Amino acid sequence: MAGLYLHIPFCSSKCPYCSFVSFPGMEQVMPRYARAVESELATLVRQEQETPIETVFAGGGTPTILPTELLIPLFDAIRKKFSLAAEAEISIEANPGTVTRESLARLRQAGINRISLGIQSFNDSELGKLGRRYRTGVARQAVMAAKAAGFDNLSIDLIYGVPGQSPATWRQTLEESLSYVPQHLSCYQLTIEDGTPFAEMMERGDLDLPGEEDIEMMDEMTVEVCRSAGLRHYEISNFARPGRECRHNINYWRNGDYYAVGSGAVSCISGRRQRRTEDPVAYCRMVENGRSPVIEEENLDRETSFRESVVIGMRMLTGISRADLVARYGMDVQDCYGGLLDRLQDGGLVELSPTHLRLTDYGRRVANTVLAELV
Amino acid sequence: MKHIRNFSIIAHIDHGKSTLADRMIQKCKLISDREFKDQLLDNMDIERERGITIKSQTICLPYQARDGQTYDLNLVDTPGHVDFSYEVSRALTSCEGALLLIDAAQGVEAQTLANLYLAMENDLEIIPVINKIDLPSAEPEKVALQIEEDLGLDGSLIQYCSAKTGKGVEDILEAIVKHLPPPEGDPDKELQALIFDAHYDAFRGTIISVRIINGTIKAGDVIRFMSNGTEYRVEEVGLFKFRREAEKKLSAGQIGYILAGVKTVRDTRPGDTITLRDRPCAKALPGFKEVQQVVFSSLYPISTDDYEDLAAALEKLQLNDAALSFQKDSSAALGFGFRCGFLGLLHLEVVQERLEREFDVSLILTVPSVKYNFYLSDGTKIEVDNPAHFPDPAKIQRVEEPFIRATILIPERYMGAVMTLCMERRGENTSYHYPMPGRIEFTCELPLAEVIYDFYDRLKSITQGYGSFDYEMLDYRLSDLVKLDILVNGEIVDALSQLVHRNNSRARGLHACEMLKEEIPRQMFKIAIQAAIGGNIIARTNVSALRKDVTAKCYGGDISRKRKLLEKQKEGKKRMKTVGNVDIPQTAFLAVLRSEQK
Ligand SMILES: Nc1nc2c(ncn2[C@@H]2O[C@H](COP(=O)(O)OP(=O)(O)O)[C@@H](O)[C@H]2O)c(=O)[nH]1
Ligand code: SF4
Repeated sequence: MAGLYLHIPFCSSKCPYCSFVSFPGMEQVMPRYARAVESELATLVRQEQETPIETVFAGGGTPTILPTELLIPLFDAIRKKFSLAAEAEISIEANPGTVTRESLARLRQAGINRISLGIQSFNDSELGKLGRRYRTGVARQAVMAAKAAGFDNLSIDLIYGVPGQSPATWRQTLEESLSYVPQHLSCYQLTIEDGTPFAEMMERGDLDLPGEEDIEMMDEMTVEVCRSAGLRHYEISNFARPGRECRHNINYWRNGDYYAVGSGAVSCISGRRQRRTEDPVAYCRMVENGRSPVIEEENLDRETSFRESVVIGMRMLTGISRADLVARYGMDVQDCYGGLLDRLQDGGLVELSPTHLRLTDYGRRVANTVLAELV
Repeated sequence: MKHIRNFSIIAHIDHGKSTLADRMIQKCKLISDREFKDQLLDNMDIERERGITIKSQTICLPYQARDGQTYDLNLVDTPGHVDFSYEVSRALTSCEGALLLIDAAQGVEAQTLANLYLAMENDLEIIPVINKIDLPSAEPEKVALQIEEDLGLDGSLIQYCSAKTGKGVEDILEAIVKHLPPPEGDPDKELQALIFDAHYDAFRGTIISVRIINGTIKAGDVIRFMSNGTEYRVEEVGLFKFRREAEKKLSAGQIGYILAGVKTVRDTRPGDTITLRDRPCAKALPGFKEVQQVVFSSLYPISTDDYEDLAAALEKLQLNDAALSFQKDSSAALGFGFRCGFLGLLHLEVVQERLEREFDVSLILTVPSVKYNFYLSDGTKIEVDNPAHFPDPAKIQRVEEPFIRATILIPERYMGAVMTLCMERRGENTSYHYPMPGRIEFTCELPLAEVIYDFYDRLKSITQGYGSFDYEMLDYRLSDLVKLDILVNGEIVDALSQLVHRNNSRARGLHACEMLKEEIPRQMFKIAIQAAIGGNIIARTNVSALRKDVTAKCYGGDISRKRKLLEKQKEGKKRMKTVGNVDIPQTAFLAVLRSEQK
């Protein structure tokens, strides 16, 4: 299967923890950017004409900061270029404060059938710490608006491990989120990325992050509360009702093929991974001049690609299918790793069944240490 | 001989020695500009990064002076660190003069003085040179005053230049011709050639740098090394131009090279005298000393498969580094390796870096040690430089450890701090005097073991870089030693054992535990670190278990980056040694010697 990713690199403000390709204050550039994306779309070469695209994902940044007059035509252009499968999953990321019931209804109308709302927290002080512009009231309105607009495949994105957060306030956020009966929940532990204001604050000792024990409690609580609400833990940070897992992301974790358009976007087709320039204006200029916005390309050899598929695939709770790997690379995990797998199994870090290789619950907590052996 | 001048440049790091040498080479048109490579004299990576010359190189500059005559100016380069002060003194002995190069913006710095003293002891004529006069912050008058009043040098000889722009460089060359005496010596006497350096060349064998003091040498002569009596037939003699240039002969006063098919630089010892078999001189030149290894440490390859590579690398390195000694060693924790002897800690670090960089072997160094004398109850004496060979304490009658005399030059205001440091390090017999206003020369007798325990770093830090330090070996003195063991999860890691003075043992044990706690990354289980003396635990700490190590988010755009991060983590793990089930990073083994945390 193949997916398509569309990147919208604009936000209303830059959050102090964010390392995504996103820029505030670029309203002027938006129409030009939308045109450039359409042009890039037109240049894409479809690899296997017969198989339709199964998933489309507009991410950011904040896609919904684009007025619907700019946004919807992009989806139309995608449909014109590619044949989409009948039940294609068409997702958009949205942030509170950039959506109304009306705008969401128009998006739904345009065929977008999944929405991922970047709520982050239902606690005003935590939203403040995270540098988010809206408060809980607006966040609630956004959820209600999405539901009212007819999105029956709704995901809520949350962040935990926020400065000043306690297991109790995280539980409140979790529980309120689940009270809206979303189909999907993403719970990301806050990561301090190099070069962000949070990283500087941490350097200075100005970031009161919750301690290890609190984080451990939050981890356990998250799994527990989601499970009792009927959401299955299917990837390190993701939970869904059965059948509502994000198909677009699962394709990433299976190291599948995906097209991409937009600044900073990465595509990967037949083992050829291409990264586009991050600067939206440079992106526009390159596309307008008929040049490719791709600035970096990577072609992995078979073994590196095999190992990469293993380490990303292990993020999913089902692990990786050995048969899939054999079909794709002609190689089984035992051929590649040999005795290492025994050691990891003895250490209680992985489980090797006749069909799958997966991390144990414990192995998942220290996934990087385990995956660093497998990469 | 009237047309020869032999000189070297004494300078503090960064005052512009290399730049000035390059300008002189250009001025003398030794090579075309196209061939001209920056930093010609200083061409090894490690040295350049640290700004120190370890292997000196010599160059012969043909200079057409204003008097119309052409002179051979031999510039002898010198290493600039205390570990190599013997090498510096040999290089200076082969000269009649020296340029004292001083940065016009920085002024006289303490470290320059040690070498200036060496030059004065060797009766060298000194020409002060004030460099970087092009800098806006330059204060040449102030520096000139310092030179005249503080150093007591002749102000009328001071040269002003900018090595960067080339201004004043010709005047320096002219001053060398005018003010430095030509060499003396008699070309007809018996040969006395002073070895001041040696390099190994894969094709020609050892290239011996010599100053001919008396006599003449030519291809075909049979030479004898006075220190060990070995003899070789001379294949070629010549001068160090940009490349080596063969000459018919070298005679008294000249500086040049000898090729005689000598297989290793170990046979050519700096300070040794070369004479002719058939017409030997009566006496060797004075000042020769055997190189003395004073610091010992074992080297182990991180991956045991690299043992053979390490052996080969050490042999290659030794071709060019006569001061390095090594022999086989083994450790329960680390497998097979080599016990090596070094001139000092800097020498040790240079060897480590060179092995890792040039020969691509990842290494673990064990805690460095000095050589102790143990007198046992059965009347025997043994020398021990390896904690693994610490004798049964019940059988030790007494122990002696090596002492040095440290000479420390500091601005007056650091006197108190330096005195305190020396006392902390078991210093004895301190004294001081004022070689110039505002400066103190402080001498102190210290156990060498305390000096290798990051003394130099501490000195630099408490004197804000103004302290210069030099030492000479004194004698062996009575000591009270214990063996400090480190246990990681209950297992003694022999490579972390140290021999320490009993009075310091508790503090060292605590410190070692703290440093290891910093260095050993958290792993999937709790790690106990303990320090013990003769089975008694004297300090302990823990590295708590790794609770969580997982990346929250990984989407399409991140995959490459995440893979690379994991690959990096994997590489990092390769630089660790697994002892029992604990991964100990390479850096941990030396960290126990650092007194301050990073
Ligand atoms: N402005 C200025 N900079 C200089 C001069 N001579 C050397 N430098 C700079 O000072 C630094 C140290 O010079 P270098 O020759 O490497 O010093 P060394 O450590 O004594 O060999 C380099 O960055 C040089 O470019 C000079 O006359 N004027
Ligand atoms: S809204 Fe999202 S993409 Fe935009 S700045 Fe904040 S974290 Fe980054």
